Amino acid sequence: MTLWRLEWVRLVRSRRLLALLGVYLFLGLLGPVTARYMGEILERFGGDVVVVLPDPVPADGISQFTANAHQIGLLVGVVAAAGALVIDAIPEMSVFLRTRVRSVPRLLTPRLVVSFAAIATAFLVGMLGAWYETVVLLGSVDIGRLMLGTLLTLVYLGFVVALVAVLASRLATVLATVATTIVTLLVLPIVGLFDVVGRRLPSHLLGATDALIRNAEPPAEYLAAALVTVATSAALVWLAARWAAQREL
Amino acid sequence: MIRVRGLTKRYGEQTALDAVDLTVPAGSVYGLVGPNGAGKTTLLSILAGLRRPTAGTVVIDVGVGARAVLPDAPRFDKWLTAREVVALSAHLGDVGDPERIDAVLYQAGLAEAADRRVGGFSRGMLQRLGIAATLVTGPRLVILDEPAAALDPAGRREVLDVVERMRGSSTVLFSSHILGDVQAVCDTVGILDQGRLRFEGPVAALLGGATRSAYLVRVRDGDDVVRSSLAALDWVSTVEIPAEHLIRLEVTSLAAAERNLVAALAAIGAPVVSIEPEQVSLEQVFLELTT
Repeated sequence: MTLWRLEWVRLVRSRRLLALLGVYLFLGLLGPVTARYMGEILERFGGDVVVVLPDPVPADGISQFTANAHQIGLLVGVVAAAGALVIDAIPEMSVFLRTRVRSVPRLLTPRLVVSFAAIATAFLVGMLGAWYETVVLLGSVDIGRLMLGTLLTLVYLGFVVALVAVLASRLATVLATVATTIVTLLVLPIVGLFDVVGRRLPSHLLGATDALIRNAEPPAEYLAAALVTVATSAALVWLAARWAAQREL
Repeated sequence: MIRVRGLTKRYGEQTALDAVDLTVPAGSVYGLVGPNGAGKTTLLSILAGLRRPTAGTVVIDVGVGARAVLPDAPRFDKWLTAREVVALSAHLGDVGDPERIDAVLYQAGLAEAADRRVGGFSRGMLQRLGIAATLVTGPRLVILDEPAAALDPAGRREVLDVVERMRGSSTVLFSSHILGDVQAVCDTVGILDQGRLRFEGPVAALLGGATRSAYLVRVRDGDDVVRSSLAALDWVSTVEIPAEHLIRLEVTSLAAAERNLVAALAAIGAPVVSIEPEQVSLEQVFLELTT
């Protein structure tokens, strides 16, 4: 039983992997259906109100998925990551591990990597489902731009995991870590309302897939935000390892 | 093995440890006793590297990989099996022999529960599992915080036997509020009270140093006659009857009592059942030092 296997077992037996895959796949399959039949749905449940919607385009199917994935999916991802990254959540288990590893980064690395891999895989599975249904129901999208948007979203998800790690190293409870992470992620887009700053923030990457597949922005638009996000994530991981090592039990 | 000098730990205004000097000889079993809030867990946590001292020095002559720490109420991720917990400990301690895992699980009485998830374990079973996970790496230094607190008498005896077996091959430092356990297995004892180490040394020295010049005489009858007769002797300072047919006398010198007590009782014609010097227990000494 290695620390890497411990994280895999945690994902599987605590059903976090199942929850992640289930939620993202559900959102992936739901998004294009919602986009395709939104008019009919509103007509059926709208009563006397008449809502006129433009005809759906393929990009709507993907956008519907990403919009849901960046809210519900991300929340599930943050909970799953916090469950692994709050290493002192059970102090007695933490005593067991901390007094046996030679350095805290050795303890933290598998948790970071496996958490990110699980969330990234779940997002990719959801995206795959959304793309398939979009093609079936609405038509094809530019695969190259879709893949680039997906890659930028994965960069953002890496930042989220790093953020969870750094907050977990300070807060030491899963609930506080989840709550603080969510608040931070909500505040970032508000800061991003200032255009000069906003285009360089990690949250700018959230709209990348939608804008790229609609040809609304060139790929270069997201270069600065991607570089800032990667650098920030690396800094957060370094800080998380440092704070976790300094933490007293 | 462990040498601590001037160890101080403050939490804000509160001083948990106050200039503690402590020496744990290599291969010894060291018992750390003290009332609640004395600073035992803080001291063990600093020695385990889980907390940093405010001042003082700690020298431990054993590498991190050769140490093992067991908290008072071990807990593990509930979805792990007992075998996986021990296997994880073995992996982190660079133990490659899988048979060793089965062996320690058997020693801890968990062979039949080895493949059960620990979420359903009782506190006693978790304590045994913690001990198995501790033993599997064959550590040279073992720090145990109240290792027998959650166990029934039989389980406690088994833990004490395990500690006893480690003597010589490993250095064991354990805290306990069960003074009988400390007296039974420790060769060195430290008494911690309000963050200060009140005593450190061999158990025998602690008990010997506190020996009272007192005898207990059990008689068949005639308690009052025996008491008044003994009280009249010039080498007897006080005489009392703590229980029926039991007379306790304090003497001015043990030598005088050894020479004269039997003769004095014979002269009275007391029906003596037994005579013995009063034994001082660790509990009595502990209470005297800490109250």
